[in-house]
Amino acid sequence: MNKGPLLFLGIFLAVALSWTGIVLVNQIQYGSLTPIIDNETGTAFPQVMSGQAKQGQLVYQSLGCVYCHSQQVRRPGFGADDLRGWGDRQSVARDYVQQGRVFLGTMRTGPDLMNVGARPLNAEWHLKHLLDPQITSPGSLMPPFPFLFETRKIVGQPSPKALQGLPPAHTPPPGYELVPTPRAEALVAYLMSLKHEYDYPEAKPVAVGGAK
Amino acid sequence: MSSPDTSPAAVEPGAPEKTAERALLSAIDASTRGPVFLFLVTAVLWLLGGTVFALVASIKLHNPPFLAQQEWLSFGVIRTAHLNSMIFGWATNAGFAVTIWLMARLSRVRLQHLGILYVAGAVWNAGVALGIFGILRGDSTSVEWLEIPPYATPILFVAYALIGVWGVVNFRYRQRGHVYVTQWYLLAALFWFPWIYSAAQIMLIFVPARGTVQSLVNWWFAHNVLGLWFTPIGVGAIYYFIPKVLGRPIHSYYLSILGFWSLAFFYNWAGVHHLIGGPVPAWAISAGVVASLLMVIPVVVIGINHHMTMKGGFSQLRYSPTLRFMFFGGVNYTLVSLLGSAMAVRSFNEIVHFTHFTVAHAHHGLYAFFTMVMFGSIYYMMPRLTLREWPSAKLISVHFWFTAAGVTLYVVGLSIGGLVQGWEMIATTKGADGELALKVPLFMQVVRDTVPYLVSRSLSGMLITVGHIAFAVNFGWMMLRPRAIGATAPTLFHTPPAMPLEHRA
Amino acid sequence: MSAPNEKDPRIDQPGASDDSLQDVHGALLREKPEPGEGAVPIPLLLLGLIGGLVFFSGIYLGRYSGNFDPLVYNEEAGAAGAAAAGPSAAPDPITVGKRLFAQNCATCHQATGQGLPGVYPPLAGSEWATGNPEAVGRILLHGLSGPVDVHGATYNGAMPSFGPLGSNWKDDRIAAVLTYVRQEWGNKAAPITTEQIAAIRAATASRNKAWTAAELEEFRK
Repeated sequence: MNKGPLLFLGIFLAVALSWTGIVLVNQIQYGSLTPIIDNETGTAFPQVMSGQAKQGQLVYQSLGCVYCHSQQVRRPGFGADDLRGWGDRQSVARDYVQQGRVFLGTMRTGPDLMNVGARPLNAEWHLKHLLDPQITSPGSLMPPFPFLFETRKIVGQPSPKALQGLPPAHTPPPGYELVPTPRAEALVAYLMSLKHEYDYPEAKPVAVGGAK
Repeated sequence: MSSPDTSPAAVEPGAPEKTAERALLSAIDASTRGPVFLFLVTAVLWLLGGTVFALVASIKLHNPPFLAQQEWLSFGVIRTAHLNSMIFGWATNAGFAVTIWLMARLSRVRLQHLGILYVAGAVWNAGVALGIFGILRGDSTSVEWLEIPPYATPILFVAYALIGVWGVVNFRYRQRGHVYVTQWYLLAALFWFPWIYSAAQIMLIFVPARGTVQSLVNWWFAHNVLGLWFTPIGVGAIYYFIPKVLGRPIHSYYLSILGFWSLAFFYNWAGVHHLIGGPVPAWAISAGVVASLLMVIPVVVIGINHHMTMKGGFSQLRYSPTLRFMFFGGVNYTLVSLLGSAMAVRSFNEIVHFTHFTVAHAHHGLYAFFTMVMFGSIYYMMPRLTLREWPSAKLISVHFWFTAAGVTLYVVGLSIGGLVQGWEMIATTKGADGELALKVPLFMQVVRDTVPYLVSRSLSGMLITVGHIAFAVNFGWMMLRPRAIGATAPTLFHTPPAMPLEHRA
Repeated sequence: MSAPNEKDPRIDQPGASDDSLQDVHGALLREKPEPGEGAVPIPLLLLGLIGGLVFFSGIYLGRYSGNFDPLVYNEEAGAAGAAAAGPSAAPDPITVGKRLFAQNCATCHQATGQGLPGVYPPLAGSEWATGNPEAVGRILLHGLSGPVDVHGATYNGAMPSFGPLGSNWKDDRIAAVLTYVRQEWGNKAAPITTEQIAAIRAATASRNKAWTAAELEEFRK
């Protein structure tokens, strides 16, 4: 292997092949996947995210939530995602076509969030959980996000957004209130928008031996 | 950069041929001094910075309230700063330094166009610094291994392209007909990285693909940073330093060829195994699984080639720092790669995917293999560049044992933790009614059970930190101290008994 | 300059008289020659193993390709294999309820059923959980908001609806999780049947917001 040009040709081919095979072919095969319009209701699925939820996705991105939370459900029978209550069906490529950036994630230090919006958790729970996960989930390894909240003096009427029913350690001093910043509200709106329950044709489980 | 009296012409006529060769190597080494120092010094600084980020992130994971008030210290941010400091600051800068030095030596030509390298080095480090600053500010893209914000990535690309161009130009000037195996790997790495980096940047950040095509691009890139950039440099360095220190040829040229081309054609398909079970087409995942299994071929071939070259020279591990670090790195290259192939098997992946096992694996590859090989290379290069010996054998010893023990504890502890986590996450039993039920129904229980292993990670991180400090002190001392007169004996772990001085390295 | 070394016979000294040259080459002098390459052929056994691996890979890729269809996610698809269907026994409400509880309720009420002091009320020994199915069934169906007294402590939160205003659970799931709660942690209340929940759902069909504790007082008797 003393011929420079031949060496280069091989080196070039090696990476060109994998780029074509993994990136280009898939882009051609399903890179222009579109939402599906439901026949009964006329609604397009997956639904478009609200503006606030999109803002929240940026907060999610900037705080690096993806490093501990995945957003993908494995099919029933492979892993136990369904039994954990993370989703009843396999996540499919169409679930993600309305999201600007896809946060599949590779770690589950915390639970999967693909369908967190479908869980019985309201905005108040999410806000308290963000303020300090120990309030709602003792033993959690999630960091608290105090900088997403603001303690401020009550001027006139108390804010309707102020957090109520906090444990003593987090209760603001008398005359003060703890309110979520717009970033916290956007993040919660994003989390509550994460719901992928529509059964696309390709998401239906295939009858297979072994799989449930 | 080279001074006239080190040129081959200065050798007395009639000197043995070997002497002329040595004089040429000396002149070449001298010509690389400036750029290699630039990359090495910045690499060591990034290594220290990255280590601090790593410790903070590790402690936060089992002690969440630690440093929680500031957004830039939040886990998701500081962890990302750690990764990027290590990848683009430490490992890539060290890789550049080793590549430049080896390429010049193996091409038998004094370094050409130093200006390109100085500019590239300065621009690269400015780009990395801006990128890390951006991440700490909250501008991370949160695309794994590509977190550096889009305002810094074009800078990195320009710097890298300059170095790639330099590599090709330097290769064209080569004075030696035979192209040694190390050069194949280095050339390939210099060519591959700009391609995968620019393709990934364009398809993910600047003109993003839709949906999970992004994830395929992401993992094609992220796996190839290891496979097509760090691995070729690491393996190429081992191919040079083991035979060099032992003074014997590489076992088999044919195995070298087979190992190189099988790595080149299989490794870059393997990244899809990070998406097993995910929302990407089954065939693409199967292709990734197959490529991961086929990676056994280059790994075994390279392993045999290195092992057979080492055979009979194991006693030298007692003396030579370079050889010891290289050996540790080489063995771990084989281990981590075989483990990686196993992790791509669907039924094993089902357990360890999404767990700390993957984190252990990443450190196994990038630290126990690549970083240790870089340390070994630096121990060899520095005396030839500074014309001084390493000031302290003790510090080298501390460096080796603390990093080796640290990373071993890290990988073993976190791998066990990952297995426990993965098993608890998916283990099921059939209930009385025939319905499947989880053995550990509460996710919080799974989380709690990983804590001891996360603590062991912090402990191992402290060991590694001690090693890094020893290394940095020795490195700085060597750079800064006045030139020692007449010290031409190498700094070894032990003095070999009655060994011809010539045979030391 | 390098006096000790000049006397060292172990050193191969080129142009030894030239001090500066000697010094520059210090580290190089002891270097071994640049590495060469041996020409040992590749062992046949290794080639055989490689052939086998490539063969296996081809088979694997063919078998698990999902016909190269971009919308097939299960690599087993297309494989012959009987779906393991068949009538299963009626699920045990305690088993089902336990799973549902771990997935949906333990986040707030905790796995111990103790809740979190001051934030989420306990279910263990709770007079609401073990009381009249009419009240607790309504809470599950439509949610509960505003202050509520449990064990003499007041909680002010919002319990979400699992029925028509929220997660849209069917009657059997609601019955199962309630039955589990009423018989766990030392609770010993009677099970709640799917029919009881269906009856409450029918009676409250027009309800469009969460209940308050005061509204539910009449159903607790």
